[in-house]
Amino acid sequence: MLELRQLSKSYNGRPVLDRLTWNFKAGEFVAIMGDSGVGKSTLLNLIAGLDTPDATPGESPIIVDGSPMSGLDDDAATKLRRARMGFIFQAFHVLPHLTLLQNVALPLLLNGMPTARAAEMLDAVGLAGREHDFPHQISGGQMQRVAIARALVHRPALVLADEPTGNLDPDTADAILTLLQREIKATGACAIMVTHSQLAAQKTDKILHLSKTGLKETTTSIRLRNN
Amino acid sequence: MNTMPKPPRRDWTIIVLMLMLAALVIASFASLPLKWREFFTADAVRSTLELLAGFTPPETGLPFLTKTFWATLETLAMSGLGTLLAVIFGLAFSLPASGRFGAAPRAAMRAVLNVLRSIPELVWASIMLIAAGLGPLGGTLALAAHTAGVLGRLFADSLENAAPLPEQSLRTNGASATAAFFYATLPQTLPQMMSYTLYRWENNIRAAAILGVVGAGGLGQMLKYHLSLFQMPLAATVILAMLLLVALVDGISFALRRVLTR
Repeated sequence: MLELRQLSKSYNGRPVLDRLTWNFKAGEFVAIMGDSGVGKSTLLNLIAGLDTPDATPGESPIIVDGSPMSGLDDDAATKLRRARMGFIFQAFHVLPHLTLLQNVALPLLLNGMPTARAAEMLDAVGLAGREHDFPHQISGGQMQRVAIARALVHRPALVLADEPTGNLDPDTADAILTLLQREIKATGACAIMVTHSQLAAQKTDKILHLSKTGLKETTTSIRLRNN
Repeated sequence: MNTMPKPPRRDWTIIVLMLMLAALVIASFASLPLKWREFFTADAVRSTLELLAGFTPPETGLPFLTKTFWATLETLAMSGLGTLLAVIFGLAFSLPASGRFGAAPRAAMRAVLNVLRSIPELVWASIMLIAAGLGPLGGTLALAAHTAGVLGRLFADSLENAAPLPEQSLRTNGASATAAFFYATLPQTLPQMMSYTLYRWENNIRAAAILGVVGAGGLGQMLKYHLSLFQMPLAATVILAMLLLVALVDGISFALRRVLTR
């Protein structure tokens, strides 16, 4: 689903990511952990095509769903993100002037797809009947539910989540991660979540630790071991 | 034992500035040939009262009222169309002026907007009347030119001050730059832009009434015509029409702005 091949990134000659190689599979929910400043958000930005990796000879260091990210201009990278990726942010980034339904329908509109699925997704995340509410009328946990619905509504192949439970209390965070896990399995997407929370990471299939030496699988999550 | 903190040191800069300001005000009055006493002589008071008495009673004949009504509509149309053109151009100018296309276009467009709004409507009207001839078109273009400068600057500041996260989030989600602007940034700034537009429309109603004096049509042109022929009752009717129009537009604009900022 997502291949990293000798992916490197440096800023002003200072290496941040050094020759990362990993293969993320479809339907897999992976947590990436690591110290602050180690390059977790940089890695997400590179995967999303929001930043460019260091030039490497030969093949593209990032391949998303069979499409090489290198060499794509801004327009092509935007189209790839729009069609194949979904994003969940720590601060929700729900548009305040749109209703919950309009927020969820936005990726469908941008992709020129029918918007009927937006209501289904709101129902799936437990917000049926709140379609015409505005974001200021709901709680933080509910806003993250909207963000999850918006990230998955257009059936992306890859979901990128940056500290999605960072602004939530532990109980709400647990409920949100359970929901995310369920919806990812239902859509068959590959999801990569950057987090500092060990509890959040335990909800995933696989925990990777990012350090100066690269990506390393540290622990198979409790959930997977229990299964 | 607690010790009191030392009081702050006296700042002499403010005192010196205030003294300089006072000196400037005194020098201004001293240098102007203001003859205060002559304003309040019996002759001055008598001639003022005579002038005011000449305005009463205002002309209320149907033909003149009809003529005034059409001139009022012309003034209203000039202000409305001038403001509409200003909104269109102001919005177009505000995009580069808000730095969306880089620092150089921002600086260049802000300089253009400075020029547009630094030239008063009356001067614009004099220029436009040469280009477009006598009548409401010149007045409308004059209002549009000055107001485009004002609104362009205000719109640009609104766009610059809008929260960037919603637009960034949409760009991340794969929205094109245009779609992200229309879905995220413009809706944030729209109530403020509408409020600025209504306020400028209020100003333009007053300005449109004045612009007629230089031949740009509407109530102003009627006022100038009748005053120059010393037809004071007719001029009084025109002045009353101006007052009513301004009060009406102020009221509508105030009510709409209250709704928008609620």
